[in-house]
Formats: sequence, structure tokens, C-alpha cells
Amino acid sequence: MKVRFAPVVVAAALLLAQPQAADAHIIASRLGDFYTGALHPLTDLQDLILWSAMGVLAGSLGAAAGRWLVLVFPIGLLAGLILGRTFGLPMAGPAVDATMILLLGLLLAAAARIPTALLCAIGFGLAVIRGAANASDLAPETDHVLFAAGLACAGYAAITLVMALTLTFRSDDAAPAAAWRGIAIRALGGWVAAVGLMMAGLAFAS
Amino acid sequence: MIDTVRTTHRLVLALVLAIAALVVAQPAFAHEQAAAAGGGLVRGLLHPLSGMDHLIAMVAVGIWGAQLGAPAIWVLPITFPMVMAVGGVLGVLRIPLPMPEVVVALSALVLGAAVAMRLRLPFAVAAVVVAVFAIFHGHAHGAELPSSANPLAYGVGFVVATGLLHLCGIVIGTLTRWPVGERVIQALGVVIAGLGCYFLAQSLGAVA
Repeated sequence: MKVRFAPVVVAAALLLAQPQAADAHIIASRLGDFYTGALHPLTDLQDLILWSAMGVLAGSLGAAAGRWLVLVFPIGLLAGLILGRTFGLPMAGPAVDATMILLLGLLLAAAARIPTALLCAIGFGLAVIRGAANASDLAPETDHVLFAAGLACAGYAAITLVMALTLTFRSDDAAPAAAWRGIAIRALGGWVAAVGLMMAGLAFAS
Repeated sequence: MIDTVRTTHRLVLALVLAIAALVVAQPAFAHEQAAAAGGGLVRGLLHPLSGMDHLIAMVAVGIWGAQLGAPAIWVLPITFPMVMAVGGVLGVLRIPLPMPEVVVALSALVLGAAVAMRLRLPFAVAAVVVAVFAIFHGHAHGAELPSSANPLAYGVGFVVATGLLHLCGIVIGTLTRWPVGERVIQALGVVIAGLGCYFLAQSLGAVA
């Protein structure tokens, strides 16, 4: 095999000499605020932990109970965003976040079979609080409708995916592996509760 | 033939240079918040792994849980992090515990000895023993929490690392199904207890 380096070098030099901006990130185009809204919660560890824990809790309770959250959670996020933007309600804070993390962790660790209405109420309350928290970072020049649409879509996708993964992982109650899988979900709840407990301590100390 | 060899050499050289470039590359960390979270997470993950006394005690807890069987083997991974978090809160609040370093070293000694002797205590007694040690281990981790750049990320990191160490112990503990595996585990318990002795002597100032 013989490789001719001179043409390769010339071709490379020509390519390098005429670079154009890729504009691969649609965030720089007019739909950017949609992506800002969708990505904003993913940059916050509080949102990641709380949304994931909520999805796991919904999944651990089964599809019949959990599927309501697919609708309730994004609506809650929109409600929180509107409340936060309109009234400037400072709903979230370290103590509130820690309490919610602790509550979700304890429910998971205890494998509590809570009623669907209570699950929806917790999910809606959590979404309202986190929606308001996300509203606090809205800049005046941001397109609020696009931002809200992005946030709601992210909430819908996150809850649906985590819930579906949990349902798949948990499998059928009659399956031989169901016992240890249930324990794994409860152990995860123990981890979440431990993090919430320490954050509550930190919020109390500061 | 010669051309083929030269080309091969050039390709190897290019590959070496590419690997070297990848090895020396540094993350940009353009987003300060993400960097702080990532740093806190890594620091939290490494904290239980960087202290040998913590590490061996946590693995020993998992092995002992596996030796004791149900319900310890499943109660342990669910409740231990929460009990440890109570100790973590005490550490965050700067509430002192008596001789924390001594008790952490003692935990390795006691848990290693329990594994080596296949000690079968009643579940409630074993739970209390492990809970006391969990509080002291959590206190040591929690004391670091307020100084972390991102306390939440740090907390997630050390809880996950501790849970994974338990899991390691439980997986090692499954060797008890085989007679040879049981002997290996008992030998491991002796090693852990020996290291616990060393750390205990160190914490008491008997060795440097």
C-alpha cells in the first residue's frame, strides 16, 4: 500500500483554510429558547435527583398508577413556571429541596404502596416547586412560551423514560428475579433518603 | 515492501501521537456550575475509597451481611445509608463524637473478626453494632460536606461509593455457597481484622 502524503496535506490545508461556522447547535437559532428550557433542568442536580426519584417512585407503583404522572408532571412544571414568573414566588430552597428528596427516598425505601391520588398530588407539588425554581433564571429577552414548552417536554420525557425503565427493571412480580430487583429499588431509595437527610442537616446548619 | 513498512511506521507514529494527544487533553470546564458539581461528585466518590479504614469496614459490612443471610442481606443496603446519613448530619452540624478515629478503626477490627469467626449474632444485635459504626463513618464523611464546592454532589458521591462498597462485600459474600469460598472469606476477614488492629494502634498513637 502506498500513501501519497502531498495531496493529502494540500487537501487538508484547503479544508482548514475555508472553515464555516457549523451552527450545529440549534440553540443559536430562533428556536434556541425551547432548548434552553429543555436543558435548563438538566444542569441542576436538584432537578436531576428529584425528577429521577419521582419517576422511579411512579414506576415502582406500577403502570396503572404511574401513567397519570406523564400528564400531571409537565402540567405542574408549567403551573410552577407561570406562578414563579408572574408572582415571583421563591418556592424552592435548600430546605425544601432536601425535604422533598428525603420524602421521596423514604417512600421508595419503605416500598410504600401509596394511592394514585397521593402520588399525583406529590408529583404535581414537586413539579410546581421545580417549575418555579426554573422560572427564577428566566432572562427578560427569553421567549417565555418556547422556554415553557421546552421545560414541559423535558419533564414529560424524563418522567416517562425513568418510569418506563423502572417498570422494565422491576419486571413481573411473579418473576424469579423480582425479589432482588425490588430490593435494589428500595436500596436506591435508601441512598436518595440518605442524601436528603444530609442536605436537610446542611440546610439546618447554614 | 519497503513502502508498506514505511506506511505502517507512519500509521503507528500517527496513532501514538493521537493517543498522546488524547491522554494529555484536559476538559474545558466552560460551565463553572457543572465543574463544581463534577468536582464535588468525584470528591464524594473518592472519599470512602481513599481511606483504607473506611473501605475495608464497608466491604466487611457487606460480607457479614451475606454471611448472616436474610433479613440482614437485604435490610443492610436499604437502611445503612440512612443510618450513616444521621452520622453525616452530626458531622455537618459539628456535633463531636467521642474518639471518632478510634471507633472507625475499631469497626474494621470488629467487623473483620465477625467475618473471620462467622459470628452469627441475633439480627437485632448485629443491626445495632453496624448502626453504631455507621454513625461514626457517616460523621467522618459529613464533616467534609460543608467545605465542598457542591455539597449535594459530594453527598451523592459518598453515598453511592459506600453503597457500591457494600455491594462488593455482598458479592464477595456469595462465595459462602462453596466450602472453599467460605475459607477464602474467613481469610479475608482475618486480613481485615489485622488491618483494623493496625489502624487502631495508629489512632491510639502506638505506631507512626
